[in-house]
Amino acid sequence: MDRVCIQVTDEANIAEASRQARQMAKMIGFATVRIHYIATAASELAANLFMHANGGLFEVCNLINRPGIELIATDNGPGIADIEKALQEGYSTAGGLGCGLPGVKRLMDEMDIDSRVGQGTVVKARAWL
Amino acid sequence: MTTNSLAPIANLLQQHRVAICDEWLNDIMRIWEHSHAGLVDKEEVSRQANDFLKELAVFFNSHSGEAPAEISTNSPFGKIACELSIERAKKGFKPADTAQYIITLKNVLTRHFLRTYSETPVDLALYLRVMNDMLDRISLLTFEMYVETRERIIAQQSLSLSELSTPIILLWNNVLLLPLVGVIDTVRARQFTERLLEAITRYEANVTIIDVTGVPVFDTSVARHFMKVIDAAQLLGSRIVMTGISPEGAQTLTKLGINFSNIISRATLRSGLAEALLLVGRRIELIGGVRP
Repeated sequence: MDRVCIQVTDEANIAEASRQARQMAKMIGFATVRIHYIATAASELAANLFMHANGGLFEVCNLINRPGIELIATDNGPGIADIEKALQEGYSTAGGLGCGLPGVKRLMDEMDIDSRVGQGTVVKARAWL
Repeated sequence: MTTNSLAPIANLLQQHRVAICDEWLNDIMRIWEHSHAGLVDKEEVSRQANDFLKELAVFFNSHSGEAPAEISTNSPFGKIACELSIERAKKGFKPADTAQYIITLKNVLTRHFLRTYSETPVDLALYLRVMNDMLDRISLLTFEMYVETRERIIAQQSLSLSELSTPIILLWNNVLLLPLVGVIDTVRARQFTERLLEAITRYEANVTIIDVTGVPVFDTSVARHFMKVIDAAQLLGSRIVMTGISPEGAQTLTKLGINFSNIISRATLRSGLAEALLLVGRRIELIGGVRP
């Protein structure tokens, strides 16, 4: 399977998102440490959907052209007003540790955030094999 | 006496009950013999079928064709539907099998209706419509019951799982062990925090070992839960020794930028235990004279 979608509406879905990402990463053939990184990044992104946006869609994709994995978190939540700030260490709006998004950026190889205030956010994170 | 437009159905059900029941059982047994050989108790099925037909007769006797019938889970049909779907589910029947059971009855009744009322097509149409409507709704009811039972079972299981997974163990005087296994979510975090703090107070624990070998993902929200429990434990006078973080887990935590600066961490429970005992002034030693 090249693509798995998980509707994140409650906390149990976060673990499921992480499990699916782990499975996909294993299937693609990532090393153990990177599988751990990817599973944790997935957990982080799915937790963001649950905590900040009241739920959303989480996707795990197997990238074909250049072997790798992509995690996509889409929501219709409040959006991120200041992306620069959200990527700063120690900045959090919901009482978190403030290292979720910057952490994901470090765990994965690439990350882009597309966010519109009041409309929602799409976070895409990729890791190359 | 008010004329009941559906009374003829009741009469037919009463008069031909044995024949209908036999046909129904024959049909259903033929289907089930393949899929559930050895699972069906013919006597029990026959009893159930009889009860079901009796209840249908009673229903049509007291009900006229105008208003749609109320079928709730509390009605006699609710009880039958419950028995059909839940009892069968325990034996490994699927909801589709129960639906099949009702559909088979529908076919048998349709045959009987056609035979008996072929002279009066207007009546026949009404009877067929009412009978179909009734059986469809019973079918839905069995499905609803099935899902409800399943959901109850799942809820019970997750409850017993959460109770199973957070034991707090008194390892030695003033030394506690909290072995964590599985996903840490808000509910579980709250649960083990409460229990641990209570145990620390009760046993006047100086050291608490938290073993995370069985925790699959250590992300920032898990870390946040841990930081809270660690702070609270330290307020109660217990040092925390964390054990069982895997090499991958350690690298992930560093990447995430989480540092547990105020705790002692050991790779294995074994070295964590040695450290914890040292903190309370104990040591595990060989007994003289016994060869290792």
